[in-house]
Amino acid sequence: MKDERQRYILFKIITDDAENFNQKVLINSIWHSIWKYFGMKEAPKIGLWLVELNVLKCYGIIRCSHITKEIVISALTMIQEISDKRIILSPIKTSGTLNKIRQYLK
Amino acid sequence: MSYFESRLGLNFEDLDRIYHVLKFCEELNINNLILEPLNNAKYFHEDLFHKISENTKIKLFFRFNIKPKTIKEFKKEIKFYQKFPNIISLETQVKEIQLKAAKDSRVHVLSFSDPVNMKTITPGLISLAKQNETFIEFSLAPIMIKNRALQSKNFRILYRFIQLILRMKPKFIISGNFDSLYDIRHPRNLCSVCHTLFGIPLEQAKNAFSKNVEMLLAKVKSKEGNKFIQPGVRLIKGDKLI
Repeated sequence: MKDERQRYILFKIITDDAENFNQKVLINSIWHSIWKYFGMKEAPKIGLWLVELNVLKCYGIIRCSHITKEIVISALTMIQEISDKRIILSPIKTSGTLNKIRQYLK
Repeated sequence: MSYFESRLGLNFEDLDRIYHVLKFCEELNINNLILEPLNNAKYFHEDLFHKISENTKIKLFFRFNIKPKTIKEFKKEIKFYQKFPNIISLETQVKEIQLKAAKDSRVHVLSFSDPVNMKTITPGLISLAKQNETFIEFSLAPIMIKNRALQSKNFRILYRFIQLILRMKPKFIISGNFDSLYDIRHPRNLCSVCHTLFGIPLEQAKNAFSKNVEMLLAKVKSKEGNKFIQPGVRLIKGDKLI
């Protein structure tokens, strides 16, 4: 069996109000979006993990399996609201290593 | 690969709003944008387009969308817009006009952005568009709505439309055409949505947001200065060998 590789996705957070925004709220809404658009068939394959969330600098990094990269990007793209506040989670960079993502951020 | 947001409707009377939207698009890392004047397109000049282009890092292009209700109206509008060196698209539910536009080389794009319009497409029309190298466009705006029932309905309409397009293989482009600022998404992310939710192969989805749009722009540019006759035929002035 082939090993499952990981992908790190860097995304930008664009919102007017980031005050009530935390890791728990974010991960819940990403899961909600995955369930809503892709259902139980795809959800177990993802292996979603929130690596970092920086509300001040408006970015976040999530980890997922390489097969489900496009699904996670779609799920992030389809999120329109979190806690009744309009928001955009825009994936900007995908990489196989966290170091590359960090280099991109610098 | 550079991606294009092929349709963003803006009111060209409100310049502040335009700059605000463009700044928002810059924040989303959008590099290429095709703007559509929403009202009074007839009163706008190239100077205004240049002025807007100079004030942003985004590479801007422009398009005109005509919505005729009768063939007479279509003829009148196309005659007016053909002098502009911009993309001309047509959006209508009237089948006769759609067929006429698919044959007309002055119309570059047949647009189906509304779910109601999407239902009017036929294999015959796609085949005609394919023969005349007219692009077919559809938008993802109908799926970015809050009402779940309506969203599901639009998903189904769009899915059927896309499957027909994939089967007939015409040249097609995909646009966002979002009304609200917070609905706008980067075209690369929309590629993923098309691939995962509508079953468009990733390479084809990427082409619909980049290569095909570049081809469309090249086609429009080639028609500039009335040097274009039909694909493969070029008028060369002053050449005695012809």
